[in-house]
Amino acid sequence: MGGAKNKRQKREDYRAAMREEGVTELPRKKFYRQRAHANPFSDHQLVYPPSPDQMDWSSLYPDYVVEEAKDNEMAGLDATPERAPMTTKPKRLSKEVEVADIGCGFGGLLVGLAPTMPDTLILGLEIRVSVTEFVEDRIKALRAKHHEAKLYRNVGVLRANTMKFLPNFFRKGQLTKIFICFPDPHFKARKHKQRIVSTTLNSEYAYVMRPGGIVYTITDVPDLHEWMVQHFEAHPSFERISEGEQEADPCVEIMRTETEESKKVERHKGQKLVALFRRLEDPAW
Amino acid sequence: MMAIPYHLLEVCGSIIFAARGSDIHSFTSTFEHISTWEYPVKQREASCAPSPAAQESPAPEEPPAKRRKVQDGQESTSKGQVNGPKATQEKVVNERPFIQGLYVTTDGHHLVAITGSDKTIWVFEHDGAGNLKQLSQRTMPKRPCALALTADNRTILSADKFGDVYALPLIPSNSPSTSPLPPQNFNRSRSSLTPTPSPGPAAALKPQANELTVHTKRNLIALENQKKSLSRKSAEQQSQSSGATPSFEHALLLGHVSMLTAICVATLTTTTTTTSSSISLSNDGQQQPQQQPETRTPTTAKEYILTADRDEHIRVSRGMPQSHVIEGFCLGHDEFVSRLCVAPGGRERVLISGGGDDDLFVWDWPAGRLLCRAGLAGHVKDAMVLVPSGGDGDGGDGNGNGDGQGAGGKQVKVAVTKLLASRWTGCETVVFVACERVPAIFCYNLLDDNTLRHRETVGLPGNPLDVELLGAGRLLVAVDSVTSGEGSSAASSLMVLDQQQAGSEGEAGWRHTPVVPTNESAGGAADINLSTEELQKILYTTESLRKMTDSD
Ligand SMILES: C[S@@+](CC[C@H](N)C(=O)[O-])C[C@H]1O[C@@H](n2cnc3c(N)ncnc32)[C@H](O)[C@@H]1O
Repeated sequence: MGGAKNKRQKREDYRAAMREEGVTELPRKKFYRQRAHANPFSDHQLVYPPSPDQMDWSSLYPDYVVEEAKDNEMAGLDATPERAPMTTKPKRLSKEVEVADIGCGFGGLLVGLAPTMPDTLILGLEIRVSVTEFVEDRIKALRAKHHEAKLYRNVGVLRANTMKFLPNFFRKGQLTKIFICFPDPHFKARKHKQRIVSTTLNSEYAYVMRPGGIVYTITDVPDLHEWMVQHFEAHPSFERISEGEQEADPCVEIMRTETEESKKVERHKGQKLVALFRRLEDPAW
Repeated sequence: MMAIPYHLLEVCGSIIFAARGSDIHSFTSTFEHISTWEYPVKQREASCAPSPAAQESPAPEEPPAKRRKVQDGQESTSKGQVNGPKATQEKVVNERPFIQGLYVTTDGHHLVAITGSDKTIWVFEHDGAGNLKQLSQRTMPKRPCALALTADNRTILSADKFGDVYALPLIPSNSPSTSPLPPQNFNRSRSSLTPTPSPGPAAALKPQANELTVHTKRNLIALENQKKSLSRKSAEQQSQSSGATPSFEHALLLGHVSMLTAICVATLTTTTTTTSSSISLSNDGQQQPQQQPETRTPTTAKEYILTADRDEHIRVSRGMPQSHVIEGFCLGHDEFVSRLCVAPGGRERVLISGGGDDDLFVWDWPAGRLLCRAGLAGHVKDAMVLVPSGGDGDGGDGNGNGDGQGAGGKQVKVAVTKLLASRWTGCETVVFVACERVPAIFCYNLLDDNTLRHRETVGLPGNPLDVELLGAGRLLVAVDSVTSGEGSSAASSLMVLDQQQAGSEGEAGWRHTPVVPTNESAGGAADINLSTEELQKILYTTESLRKMTDSD
């Protein structure tokens, strides 16, 4: 089909142009659309590090890369003779990612959060390829646009299936905040295992979170809200945070207004159901 | 007709259990037959048992799922029947599921088996003399891939195809609701991840959202679809609810979003010299002079659950009742992990893992630290070019180079099917490794510095399906003499390997002794109406865990 090819060509041209250096124009969504759902159980063609130690964050957060020479020197002094083969040490950052937006979609939350916590590294994780590319281009354009103020240097996005590979990216206790905003509802009971919140997955969220860290959830679907509350409350590693504390948290307002889905819900005058959960200390063992 | 080789072994003191198809046999150490447990075949299925008549004309009311299409060319020729000009015809295949896992409790009092296609876990009482009494039969929600038993032998941990681990009491109490096992706290939400109480049928059948709560187009479509299928689902739920949620005691302990391939229980003993935990404040808050002696808790043993999945992960979780706490991961595999094995002889922190990678991995599992990688693919490559010697032991030349590129330059794919570690007299720790479709056993030494050193490769006349230890220097191997190797007498596929010291009898090596159990009636349960390909598909499942990439 000539028309379809033409459209695809246009899309590719547009996206290639967006990737050029110094573009400050923000990307337009229509050139990045993709099927709504990606099956979280299939293998895809995902790229992920074998372990967090082998993750190279330098291209996502170039401003935070630790000077090379120094690092090499350190490695040279390292006396341990036996080094597992293939562990080429990736470049180090001066900080670690501490905030993750799971299923970040088009990145509204990342962009909203970035200026409010300029010293914290924030990462969006998204399973759909072209949606991830949109967010990459968006971050790049924003960095170029706010070059002087050095804004948005602390946000990045990665294509990942968080249901399978969270522990490949994050060490135990690394994260202080996890956002789960307007996750896909998967209404059918048969598909509940595909939900991004479940008792067994909550153990993985607990693993990558530091005690005291907070999981933020928001949805417009009452049954999904109930589901998330039920599953986090039933999990011994989490407790629900009181409404008072919830409303005092500035992140909640950003979550309510800045994500693409929240804006959609706003236009339709829908409800936004919020629930926060604190990661508790593990009991003695 | 195809003879089935023995494909699973368990050794329990002087008793040997061996599974063949859907039957479990027991033998003495001299291979005298003791007993056979046969998978119970229902009357209806019995009528489908391989008799030529039944194969030619399956009963028309048989549900389609019970049949398998078979190409004409693959039909067993013994019948010589021609059933019309159709290119394909339907044939009833053997309905009895194969035994896919066999486990004895450490006290030897029980045997646990998995049958795969019917997702069932079987528990037998063992009288210590090779006689089995079936105690229970429990059908799991998803197909169990591997089992482990807790150290007290009271709980079965079942790791399934959907990534979940369930705990079941070895001996189910009569009424699940009234008498849960005391120490494990089954069905208590705070101590295990038993699924949260699902909404009752009424709640489940009402749409989970309405138009006012759904704002995006795709959610609307999803809602529409959901409404459409509600009436259909209500009927389904009525009939399926019993199958979906087992009625017996069980608790969901943990889950990966990936097929589980291996599970084991590891124990960590810590020597805690706690000064009396009661720093004893008296009522007025004054600290008491420490007169009482230190209360020493010499050792405390903590259990952990180690699980491996198809997505290269090895997860370390606390044991029950805190199995929701993930302590760490052992990450580094590039391909699926298929086998785990904790080192014996007081080296409880050392874990060996193998799978689809060219190497074996050695871990300090409590620290999640890789200790060593040991080449395996090179030895596999060497073994593949060997002409199986069949009789006189070690044929390996010991030149395995560990990179999977032997002399021929052809890449071999490794899929580890067995890891067995044992401490021999002389303080030597030996690790035996078997790989899928490779007619050899690879022996390594686990050295004191926790590196693995290849020691020798023992060639076999066919592919090993299972390996167990009969004693120091003595192995029992189930060899696929049917679909691999020299074929020949498919009467028995068991083989004993004895390590020979170098000396008067000649070179060091392994002596092969094929064994034929007594009273082993050929035919009947041992034969199956499957083609070689079909049988191989059942016996060789590990390599299929590998992910497809474009280069394949
Ligand atoms: C309804 S959208 C919400 C997007 C965004 N959080 C917002 O509020 O605008 C859900 C997103 O989660 C992504 N997603 C679903 N499953 C995922 C998974 N396993 N890993 C990463 N992202 C996933 C989907 O691709 C989709 O973009």
